[in-house]
Amino acid sequence: MTFEEAQKELEGIVQRLETGEAPLDEALKLWERGEELYRFCKERLDAAEGTIEELASRAEAAKP
Amino acid sequence: MKVEAIEYGDRKVYSVGAFNRGVASWLSRLPTVWVEGEVTELRRSSRWASVFFTLKDPEDGACLSVSMPRGQFDALRLEVADGVRVHAYGRPELFEARGEFRLRALSLERFGLGDHLAALERLKSKLAAEGLFAAERKRPLPLLPRRIGLVTGNDAAAKRDVLTAVTTRFPPANVLVAETYVQGPRAAGAVVEALRALCREGVDVVVVARGGGSFEDLLPFSDERLVRAIADCPVPVVSAVGHEQDTPLCDLAADVRASTPSVAGRLVVPDLAQLLERLDRSRAGLERGTRRSLERERQRLDRAHERLGRAPRLHLERSRARLEQTAGRLRTLSPRSTLERGYAIVRAQDAIVRSGGAVAPGERVEVELADGGFGARVEDTR
Repeated sequence: MTFEEAQKELEGIVQRLETGEAPLDEALKLWERGEELYRFCKERLDAAEGTIEELASRAEAAKP
Repeated sequence: MKVEAIEYGDRKVYSVGAFNRGVASWLSRLPTVWVEGEVTELRRSSRWASVFFTLKDPEDGACLSVSMPRGQFDALRLEVADGVRVHAYGRPELFEARGEFRLRALSLERFGLGDHLAALERLKSKLAAEGLFAAERKRPLPLLPRRIGLVTGNDAAAKRDVLTAVTTRFPPANVLVAETYVQGPRAAGAVVEALRALCREGVDVVVVARGGGSFEDLLPFSDERLVRAIADCPVPVVSAVGHEQDTPLCDLAADVRASTPSVAGRLVVPDLAQLLERLDRSRAGLERGTRRSLERERQRLDRAHERLGRAPRLHLERSRARLEQTAGRLRTLSPRSTLERGYAIVRAQDAIVRSGGAVAPGERVEVELADGGFGARVEDTR
């Protein structure tokens, strides 16, 4: 799943929940799924460490 | 010129000189034409009557030796160096002493701006006809690329602009930079190679950035190989080459065209602050929405419960009403209403008297009226 897929699904769930029309079972399932998606997105952001590498030096390092 | 052959029996044999003269004379009948190519191996000496160079076809590498009278060459005052593209006007000839074929140039022109533009226009039409620039080919950029590839020259400005824009907007961005030639005859091939290398390393999007330059400087970015490589790149490409008004063909083949390297940098990453805010809003919405759903569900339950509580009383009331109705109908049918209309019931010995013969004179009978009754004796019967 890509970040934007997760974000889109999350926002869709919020929209569905905010109408308040979801029956109880569904609402709870949506909420669980939403939390899961939120954690996924958050982790993707936290996992990016911010590196700038030069391809040439990578190739250099790969040489025996 | 007559070419003499020596006869050995029935075999006609030419001397080398005669053969060369013959071919030379045949070649000299060919028309004078323009030939286009890149100058290489230019040799000029004040001791020679001619200057010599080789014309090379940039497409397939085919070569053609050219000679030109030195006086004419010098008079043109062309600054021709190796690698310069020219149009040579001349006719084919054979250097008879050595049997070498070459083009005898009478005039030489640098391949001008107009020619470049015309060639560019032809290539543009060809690639457009193939659908290489079609809008439906354009891919959306990933919102959050795991790694960004950057193809740039070692010219610091474009590279710095992209990196600054990227890291300002999204500090945790990962960028893999491929420095390469972005000018001169090796640039197109080098950029193609850099693109491929980045894709092999694994990137989600590629930025090709080069600062402004002269029309000729930017020509490699309209090279057919480079344009095709951009169109065929497995991940989306953002092109930021030259200034706003330049439109090298790579801009048309790229998925997104950025007016400057900074703009390209901002396009390939999301705004981290905005992203976090949006994510937090979603989460708040998630809680609010769930609560709202629960609340609604509870209200629905309450309503059902309330109706459930009302149900027995409702049932009782309905039964009562039905009973009243039945009682009303019962009353209509009872003899009492008949008595009220003035009829009387006569009983003798507790049995209702229905005929005169049922009683005897002097017998006591009971008479019941709507209101009370009385006892009586029978006078006579009929």
